[in-house]
Amino acid sequence: MGVLQGTLDLIVLRTLQTMGAMHAYAIATRLEQISDDLLHLNQGTLYPALVRLEQQGRIKGAWGKTETNREAKFYSITKSGEKALEEETRRWRLMSGLVEKLLGEGA
Amino acid sequence: MRRALAKFINLFRWHTAERELEREIEAHLRLLQDDFERRGMPPEEARLAARRSYGGVEQSKELHRQARSFLWVEEGVKDIRFGLRHLWRSPGFTVVAGLTLALGIGANTAIFSVVQAVLLEPLAYKDAGRLVTILHRGTGPVAPANYLDWRRQATSSFQAMGAAQAWNPNLTGIDQPETVRALQVTQSLLPMLGVEPALGRLFAAGEDQRGRDHEVVLSDRLWQRRFGGQPDVIGKQVALNGEQYTVVGVMPPSFQFAPFWATRTEMWVPLALEARQQDRRGQSLRIFARLNEGATLAQARAEIGAITARLEQQYPGTNRACRVTPLMENVVGKVETPLLLMMGAVALVLLIACANVAHMLLARASGRRKEFALRAALGAGRARLVRQLLTENLLLSALGAAAGLLLARWALQAIVALSPPNLPRIETVELGSSSLLFLLGATAATALLFGLAPALQTAAERLSIALKESGRGSGGPRGLKLRGFLVTSEFALALTLLVGAGLLMRSFRALQAVDAGFDPRGVLSMVVSVTGSSEAEGGRREIFYRQLLERVRALPGIEAAGAINHLPLAGDLWGTSLRIGGRPQPRPGEAPGGIYRVAMPGYFETMRIPLRRGRAFTDNDQLGAPGVAILNERAVAEFFAGENPIGQRISVGTDRPQPEWLTVVGVVADVAQHDWAARTAPEIYIAALQSREFLGLSESHSGYITLVARTRGNAADAVPALKSAVWALNRGLPISEVLTMEQALADATAQPRFLMLLAGLFAGIALVLAAVGIYGVMAYSVSRRTREIGIRMSLGADQATVLRMVLAQGMRQALLGVAAGLAASLVLSRLLERLLYGVAATDPLTFAVSAAVLCAAALLAACVPAARAVRVPPVTALREE
Repeated sequence: MGVLQGTLDLIVLRTLQTMGAMHAYAIATRLEQISDDLLHLNQGTLYPALVRLEQQGRIKGAWGKTETNREAKFYSITKSGEKALEEETRRWRLMSGLVEKLLGEGA
Repeated sequence: MRRALAKFINLFRWHTAERELEREIEAHLRLLQDDFERRGMPPEEARLAARRSYGGVEQSKELHRQARSFLWVEEGVKDIRFGLRHLWRSPGFTVVAGLTLALGIGANTAIFSVVQAVLLEPLAYKDAGRLVTILHRGTGPVAPANYLDWRRQATSSFQAMGAAQAWNPNLTGIDQPETVRALQVTQSLLPMLGVEPALGRLFAAGEDQRGRDHEVVLSDRLWQRRFGGQPDVIGKQVALNGEQYTVVGVMPPSFQFAPFWATRTEMWVPLALEARQQDRRGQSLRIFARLNEGATLAQARAEIGAITARLEQQYPGTNRACRVTPLMENVVGKVETPLLLMMGAVALVLLIACANVAHMLLARASGRRKEFALRAALGAGRARLVRQLLTENLLLSALGAAAGLLLARWALQAIVALSPPNLPRIETVELGSSSLLFLLGATAATALLFGLAPALQTAAERLSIALKESGRGSGGPRGLKLRGFLVTSEFALALTLLVGAGLLMRSFRALQAVDAGFDPRGVLSMVVSVTGSSEAEGGRREIFYRQLLERVRALPGIEAAGAINHLPLAGDLWGTSLRIGGRPQPRPGEAPGGIYRVAMPGYFETMRIPLRRGRAFTDNDQLGAPGVAILNERAVAEFFAGENPIGQRISVGTDRPQPEWLTVVGVVADVAQHDWAARTAPEIYIAALQSREFLGLSESHSGYITLVARTRGNAADAVPALKSAVWALNRGLPISEVLTMEQALADATAQPRFLMLLAGLFAGIALVLAAVGIYGVMAYSVSRRTREIGIRMSLGADQATVLRMVLAQGMRQALLGVAAGLAASLVLSRLLERLLYGVAATDPLTFAVSAAVLCAAALLAACVPAARAVRVPPVTALREE
């Protein structure tokens, strides 16, 4: 299953909010775990989302060392990221409710 | 914003970003590999597995790059493609909207191009903004002594000053003789303009002194026409009025001087003023000056005013009110207001076009609500939707602009062809870079104007409602209100244009009804110049002029012939002061005056100027016979009110030591003299055969006559016969200014006719657009109310009631617009006031007729959908949806 366009940002932000600073590999692994492997994220597609979010100022990245002493860029959510997440979540809830209703009506 | 900035910076930091990317992918792969190794894979296999799992490294890099740089470029391309597909799929809408915009944008671009070339483009001289003229009442010539005083004394505001005087010498000595339009200029004048000659040099210091003044600078046109564009022309001799002049320079093709008077000048010769240093009465010079760096117009005016006031004390009665005017104002002053008004009118047309397209978009938008709701549900943000809509609008507008450009090209040709002869610089009009820039600006502004409101409205709709309605498509109350507002403003704008056009039309009709005072049909005129020829010798002129008229009268098809010094309307206008017999010598500056005409026998009959009293000139009014004069009615009213003018004595010119009394023998009707429909001035006609000046027997003399002949057929056909009659007497005489009086008359009213045509065209377009607008709104509203109408009819409403209801709704908006338009017109028509003749700016008839025409158009446009509404069978209407 692919990711619905526009929702990946939401997912990433939420993950960073709950888990704290993470590097891309850890984010990808986490997403796979949480979706019971339903969401098979091609890991390369995660980067554009990270770059986009970083450019929007919603997350910020810093180079650091992993516990295995490998070099990796750790991303963490920013204040504006928190706000955006809140907004997007509300929007998503409204939207999914609508779509749900629409589908339920069988129109 | 920040993101855009980051992307922008990224464009420059490509390498850094690329290294960063490389590093991050590398780190990611390492972590993956570690993972696989932990699960027990050998390192090499783990490395490969990591790569596989990661997906294509290069694809990933590409995705990354896209995210990093201008993503919106790609989105923009997507929008454009989507928009194009959309427009393509609804060709009817696209064509109608595109044409509407093309009309608006094209007309605006054309008129702007004219405004740009005529009003905005600076004059083609160096730093032309500091060039000014000093002229009597801003337009008339001044005397040499005044010029010399100003030049000597007004040094604080002026850097340089020069004078010019028109001179039309006969150019002889090379094949065909011709009268050349020349300007005599002081040495200071040409260098002041800052234009270098293409060949040779300008006049050097001292060359405007008597004896050294026989030099000429040629215009490019004359150089090409008469000297074959040969560079060896410098140093050659040319004969002007029989005297030898040396060619010293040739000006570049673009050079023109003077720009507002004597505009067709083809050569410049030095003006020697030495002999006229004390001349305070011979007002023949036009003064040009360059302001000092930092000097203002107000300072210059104050300085000239102060000097003139001093001179007035010294030499009372010789100073006329003179005014410092920017040169540009002299050039465009008369056409500035009409052109700007036309620009305003055409802008109104564009506004109406925008309103119409906005209608169409609003109607379409309601059909597209479901599409947008769905897209929003799928994650497209509001901004994204607005951008999509604006892109579509921009495409539509660009389409209109492309068609408008073609239209503008065509319209510009038509405008140049129809333009009145007094529109300066019209020959330089082109669809140049500034026009294209304007076109681009107009296109963008148009797209915003007609598109923003519908776009915002569409995007602002509450999604839930749109989805629930599942695309049933009703405009919603806001949509209707907006549309009603658009129709109302369209009608208001259209009415303003109609009123303006109507006023100009009435004014033009009034102008046409003005009696020229002569009958122009079939009259041909030409200027024959004897200066420098053997006919100019003392005594020969009288014989030549008499012979010429005899010959012309004998030509087949010629009814009558005569001659005059200057033609009314088309010719020059010389003034003269006057003494009246039996009255005391007037004080200086208070002498009565009038227009100075010198006529040969037959002139009044040829022109069919009615003789009111007494007699016309005859062949016997010659030298030696008692001096006679004829006055026009205006002169009689001013000088001899309540008296019998016949037998009164007058003397022309007040500076003669002894008056030369002439007896008034006749009174003729007033004729249009210069400005069409301007107040007539007194005219004094002198008998040419008694005028020593005209016959070349006095020191100052005029060396040409204007021949007029009345033909039985088409005046223009008689040109060759008349020319050969002149040349049969003397092959060496130049003929110029060949003109039919009908043409002269048409030229005199050309500007009002041009304005009327343009304004009428704009008003017509506005009328059609407004009608289309109300039709669209009505049709849409009826289609929305089909069900309601069905219910009403099934409940017993008859067709008439429904028709009334629907029409009333449409007419309410139209009438509201008409009311607003009437109010606006009352204010705006005042701007037209100065252009109107014989009709008030608030002319009730024009207002009433314009409003009626607009209402009729609205009613007609509303009837079609209303009729459709009542024809719908109630059952169908009820079943609809």
